[in-house]
Amino acid sequence: MTGPIVQAEGLTKRYGRRTALSDCTLAVPPGKVVGLVGPNGAGKTTLLLIAVGMLRPTAGRIEVLGSLPAANAAQLAKVGFVAQDTPIYAGLTIADHLRFGAHTNPGWDQRIARDRIAELGLDPAQKAGKLSGGQRAQLALTLALAKRPDLLVLDEPVARLDPLARRDFLRSLMAYIAEHGASVILSSHLVSDLERVCDYLIMLMASRVRLAGEVDDLLASHFRLIGARRDPADLPAGCVVLDESHTDRQSTLIVRSTTGIDDPSWTAEQLSLEDLVLTYMAQTIPAPQPALETTR
Amino acid sequence: MTWFTWRQFRTQTWVTVAALVSLGILLVVTGRSLAHAYASTIAACHGDCAATMRQFVLQARNGTNGTVYNLTIGVMYAVPALIGLFWGAPLFAREFETGTHHLAWNQSVTRTRWLATKLAVVGGAAAATVGLLSWAVTSWAGRVDSAAADRITPLVYGARGVVPIGWAVFAFALGVTLGMLIRRTIPAMVATAVIYVVAVTQIPRPRLVPAVHINRPLDMYSTSVMYNNETHWVWADPNNDIVPHDAWLLANRSVTPSGKWFNGPVDPGHCSDMDACTQWVGTLGLRQDLTYHPASHFSPLQWTETGIFVGVAALLVGFCFVWTRRSTR
Repeated sequence: MTGPIVQAEGLTKRYGRRTALSDCTLAVPPGKVVGLVGPNGAGKTTLLLIAVGMLRPTAGRIEVLGSLPAANAAQLAKVGFVAQDTPIYAGLTIADHLRFGAHTNPGWDQRIARDRIAELGLDPAQKAGKLSGGQRAQLALTLALAKRPDLLVLDEPVARLDPLARRDFLRSLMAYIAEHGASVILSSHLVSDLERVCDYLIMLMASRVRLAGEVDDLLASHFRLIGARRDPADLPAGCVVLDESHTDRQSTLIVRSTTGIDDPSWTAEQLSLEDLVLTYMAQTIPAPQPALETTR
Repeated sequence: MTWFTWRQFRTQTWVTVAALVSLGILLVVTGRSLAHAYASTIAACHGDCAATMRQFVLQARNGTNGTVYNLTIGVMYAVPALIGLFWGAPLFAREFETGTHHLAWNQSVTRTRWLATKLAVVGGAAAATVGLLSWAVTSWAGRVDSAAADRITPLVYGARGVVPIGWAVFAFALGVTLGMLIRRTIPAMVATAVIYVVAVTQIPRPRLVPAVHINRPLDMYSTSVMYNNETHWVWADPNNDIVPHDAWLLANRSVTPSGKWFNGPVDPGHCSDMDACTQWVGTLGLRQDLTYHPASHFSPLQWTETGIFVGVAALLVGFCFVWTRRSTR
């Protein structure tokens, strides 16, 4: 798979007067764990539902793994989806769910499914409605993994889990990817959930794509500068100030610079992904999308 | 997909099978007592058997047999509606409500196939259940119906033959469609109940097959005249002897030469005494207007109504397919 796993152009979804997603253009490179972040209501779920063919866009085009979402059985087989709140059939047992997966997916790997249920210490005869939130999410993930998809789409999979279940969930996801390989898109309104797992970031704000790029590139091009108080206007060219705060003696700036900072009068620090995202969330000026330019 | 549909539907299936078996046992047991009553009355009768027939009908419609007779009519009317409510409406509404359609629609089975399988399995079960039920009830009540000669009259008509199957298929398709549009189980069930009852009661049943229509001069010897001396209205009720006793009588009234229903009011002078009144009514040139469906219309009426309901059900199912396609990608 060399082409983009998701390619969207001008993707827009309106519900009556409300715009859930506007003019979203994206090209997500393959083999990545993509974090889709943004505040609640930014359009993350809408984008993911369009990508798995559960929603029809109002305008624009989207291709997932080279064809229309949910176009046919072969396309459905390539994409695994775990919806928000990880729905399962409450009245059916875990074994029923696995049998359902086996009956409806030609690529079903019963060994993966069985091993995962055993690792989680779950009784296959148990009714899914009696599972805890974390176990439920794990069952939904098991169904999505055992169909052996090329792309996994997870919508806020850990939002309702306690920290321990959250860690276990992400750990088992990463273990699967390490062993079997697959691209992943997972959304969260908390960057801290994704920081440890994702290597590509898409940020949605108020229905628009605010930032998209490789996590490494983003981190390498953003700095916190601390130095004696001064006017931020005398920074070298190519430096864009995203945020500034000043005390009587000291100035702290957050800047984007692709060339690096070699002025010794500044102490340059790397930003954490969370700080970087929060900085952009507070911004109103449009941000460029560096990674998008490079992947085209 | 078929296995999974069956798995989801398993509880309802066992409940239905248990109910059908219980009713079957009841019908077999009471059927024997009915056969015994038949053997001792009608089968043993020679010559004029009208009184014997009445006696048999009386036996069949009272006591234990009568309870079963009324029960079967109730069951035949209730089951198609219940199928719409409990099999049709929740079929998709519950998936949307609990979000499990996200799970179902993201396995390697197209949404069209998912829809087709569910509709075929559950819809087929609905038609088969009511077909079996109607066959059992129609055979059980066969002797009573022919002795009472009322198979075509409204209450009995809907509890016999193929019409209940048409209703069940329609109720199921209606429930499924409303469940898909409303996406919540209870509101979908309520909407299904309301629309179903309106459809089944408001279909212009007598007009589905052209009725026999007789328009003839009013025979005053067999017409009873009534007069209300306060409102001065007068009614002329003609005898309906020419209508077969096993027919479904729709209308029998006296009309003026221009075709309007005759009911006065009249000049009180004509009707000071009833003989004079009757004589006077006889001079108005009134006609008797009779409309009825003879017993032979039972099958054409049944098949026409079934065809209409099955046809509407097919349109609803078609809509479900189009809706699923258009609302997703």
